[in-house]
Amino acid sequence: MATTTAAVTLTSDLLSDNMSVSASTTCMKAGTTADGLDGMEYGYLDLITGDEYDLIGATPTASKASKLYLKNHSTDETYFIAITQGTQAIGRLYAGDWMFIPADFHDAAGEIAITANGGTNKICYALFHEGITKDASA
Amino acid sequence: MAITASVSLISAAGDLVTNALTLSDSTTLTKAASSTALANTSGLARKTTASTDQYTLFKADEYTADKAHKLYLKNTSATATEFFTVSYDDEIIGRLYAGDWALLPWSATDGVKAAFSVTFANTWAENDTAVFDGVTITLGSTETTAAMVDLVVAAKYPNFTVVETSASVATFTAKDSNDLSLIEEGAASDDYVVTTGGNGTGTVARTVAPVASANDIKITPGQAANTVEYMLFYE
Repeated sequence: MATTTAAVTLTSDLLSDNMSVSASTTCMKAGTTADGLDGMEYGYLDLITGDEYDLIGATPTASKASKLYLKNHSTDETYFIAITQGTQAIGRLYAGDWMFIPADFHDAAGEIAITANGGTNKICYALFHEGITKDASA
Repeated sequence: MAITASVSLISAAGDLVTNALTLSDSTTLTKAASSTALANTSGLARKTTASTDQYTLFKADEYTADKAHKLYLKNTSATATEFFTVSYDDEIIGRLYAGDWALLPWSATDGVKAAFSVTFANTWAENDTAVFDGVTITLGSTETTAAMVDLVVAAKYPNFTVVETSASVATFTAKDSNDLSLIEEGAASDDYVVTTGGNGTGTVARTVAPVASANDIKITPGQAANTVEYMLFYE
């Protein structure tokens, strides 16, 4: 079984007492403990400003347990990537920020799209999925 | 003060791919376009759902839009088939199955809250009433329009805020942009009901049309009982 372990730790001294929250999970296929996510797409690239781009140049199987990691490796704190899905604004990843989200890819409007702001942003992403259909050659 | 978010994605050699894979990162969650740390948190919360209805965890109206907010979510279930669907309003982001966690950015794009004004005129008599949002104002004596506005503004409404915009006008604003009800306009509104024995009038005019927030964070359990842990870091 393909095993990918995703772990997170959130620590903070915001409150009167220190806080630490940790979670670790094995990325499994939807609804099973017998089979892990066995597909991966990985990229590290410069994202120029001006246009919105689909992050994944393919069509992952919809409504599964896919997980997407995305990090903004920019160092200028004013740079950010705007993330949208269809017409829905998801949020912004500023320099150094990362996200790890479930990704449904329910249809064409379910594509994750990204736009660089401030200047060319350097990003890294990894999609763990249950299957993918490559886009047909134009 | 700082919030540190660390992640590791690890797969052993020969497991997912031939070579071992390790992606790890640690970052301080900062405010938008700044090196200053995010300073607010909702605190860690836990909610057990009771049905497969959609639940709203955070309302975009209550947070500043287009900042660097981050949301932590975890499905605490240990049953592999149990999941909940994460949505930003009605846009499905994805499913978190048992044990899965996520850290999501959130734009918190606001909607537009409905607003309307009531213009009071003439003289309001003893026992005249103004009824709105479950609140009834009954006059104990004859009042001027200015005094009437003062009374209206002093009242507490469950779903609206109200301010005095002139000596004769009070303006109401909905607390929630998802309240899309349109207040009937005119001097005989069925929504803002004035009952006067004399010549006092209260005339309603809509000033802002509502637009629902499309960015509330919601979850929909795949089964009735599902426990989610969540925490928001925000500006």
